[in-house]
Amino acid sequence: MDILSISNLSKSFGQTRVIDGISFSVPEHAVFGFIGANGAGKTTTMKMILGLLKADGGEVAVCGEKVTFGATKTNRHIGYLPDVPEFYNYMRPKEYLRLCGEITGLPHTSINNRCDELLELVGLAGVRKKIGGFSRGMKQRLGVAQALLNEPKLLICDEPTSALDPVGRKEILDILRQISRKTTVIFSTHILSDVERICNQAAVLNKGKIALAGTLADLKARHKADSLHIEFVSAADKARFISVYGLSAEQSETGITLRGGDIEGIEAKALQILAQNDILPIRLEVAESTIESLFLEVVQ
Amino acid sequence: MRAYLAFTKKEFTENWRTYKLPILLVVFLLFGMMSPLLAKLTPELLKSLSDTGGVVITLPEPTAMDAWAQFFKNVGQMGMLAIIIVFSGLMATEFSKGTLVNMLTKGMKRHTVVLSKLTAATVIWTVSFLLCLAVSYAYTAYFWDMGTLHYAFLSFFSLWLFGEFLISLLIFGGILFKSLMGSLLFCGGVIVAMTILNIIPNITRYNPSSLSGATLELLNGQKGLSEFMPAFVICAVLIIVFSAASITLFNKKQI
Repeated sequence: MDILSISNLSKSFGQTRVIDGISFSVPEHAVFGFIGANGAGKTTTMKMILGLLKADGGEVAVCGEKVTFGATKTNRHIGYLPDVPEFYNYMRPKEYLRLCGEITGLPHTSINNRCDELLELVGLAGVRKKIGGFSRGMKQRLGVAQALLNEPKLLICDEPTSALDPVGRKEILDILRQISRKTTVIFSTHILSDVERICNQAAVLNKGKIALAGTLADLKARHKADSLHIEFVSAADKARFISVYGLSAEQSETGITLRGGDIEGIEAKALQILAQNDILPIRLEVAESTIESLFLEVVQ
Repeated sequence: MRAYLAFTKKEFTENWRTYKLPILLVVFLLFGMMSPLLAKLTPELLKSLSDTGGVVITLPEPTAMDAWAQFFKNVGQMGMLAIIIVFSGLMATEFSKGTLVNMLTKGMKRHTVVLSKLTAATVIWTVSFLLCLAVSYAYTAYFWDMGTLHYAFLSFFSLWLFGEFLISLLIFGGILFKSLMGSLLFCGGVIVAMTILNIIPNITRYNPSSLSGATLELLNGQKGLSEFMPAFVICAVLIIVFSAASITLFNKKQI
């Protein structure tokens, strides 16, 4: 079953069409990477899913229920982590989570346990100071805790790692991976290595349209652009190789990159030429296509 | 209902920990003490001046009504200003800081936010006002014979109602402009507009602003009930209208 389905969604701010008729769906138990450059419309899309912004057209359904602007009924299925989560600075983390628990309607008896459990998960157990004194990373972790409070079927994270240092980023990604066993996760980002680390599905948003969507493996296969990179000792070696191989591929001073669908064939041929001509390269590397190369291909 | 209670509790915690509630209580406690004391001491002060300078100022002996005049002046002006300053950020800071996003995405209904804020501000204002009134009453009764207070309940209630009117304006302005400045300017704008309206003859009867300035005349019997009833009713209606409009407007706001 699709946890989230979006059809023909569009939104303009003034004259600017930020989202232009996008459609995609997210199946259950996916970790869905929502990729786009800064200002591509990721946050706008997410806010429309949450009913915080009014869509100009199209439909959003969460767990089969239609989302209406202003009403927050479908939000009971959703946990949301904003890009910069803001809390009441005068509260302590547990007080804040308790407030969230009351609001979302958790049973009295389980609120306490659930709060402790989540603070443990995000590594804030035992932190007694007020939220006002938290670092960015701690706020982000508390943000994850509040988003997971109502055991949502769908967790939406808006650039959860963008402003964090490498340690903080790793922690957040680990938490997301951990919870993805129980929950469907959508997270927007422009950090492509994060997508490769934890996502199994992705969509690329570009100029208000979905430029690419599918499972990660699918995307890579569809845009297969594997390459063989050979680095030579000198330009002379490179010239000798090219004279035999017979094509001018992408070149740097002492290196060339060969591309093609049948990368094994290319590799075999290249190795043969190298052996026959006594050319010893410094480096020979088969590079698989990355999300980054895909992204650049799509965006440019 | 549970969300409403939880969020209202959060409002009280917020007002306490951000020192808004303690400040208001202290300010209104001071007003309560000051009003009768000022009425009592002003003639004494002037007398001590005239003793040294040789100028003879004869003042009538202050009465309980002078103390109430001070009370209406202090609470009706400085007190209202304190209300405006303290509650101006009631809605506005939630918008500008983005703290509502987490609450609303937890499934809390939007009107709950408005109702909780209105409840908390009303309770805080009421407690502050009653404290001020009680202290003022106690001192006045101690210094003077209270005499006859005409329509005592309605006079004081009118002043309270005007404070409530300001709160509903601040909430509405905060939602409309989503900023502190917007909230303040909206409330200030309405007050200025009401003051200007007073230029038109006979409009004071209908103008809510007379509830803060002129209800002393109701208390001391200079004016009758009928002089104030229209303003009183209009003020009450406006509070309901602005509160309802706040909810409707908030439901349509993009966050």
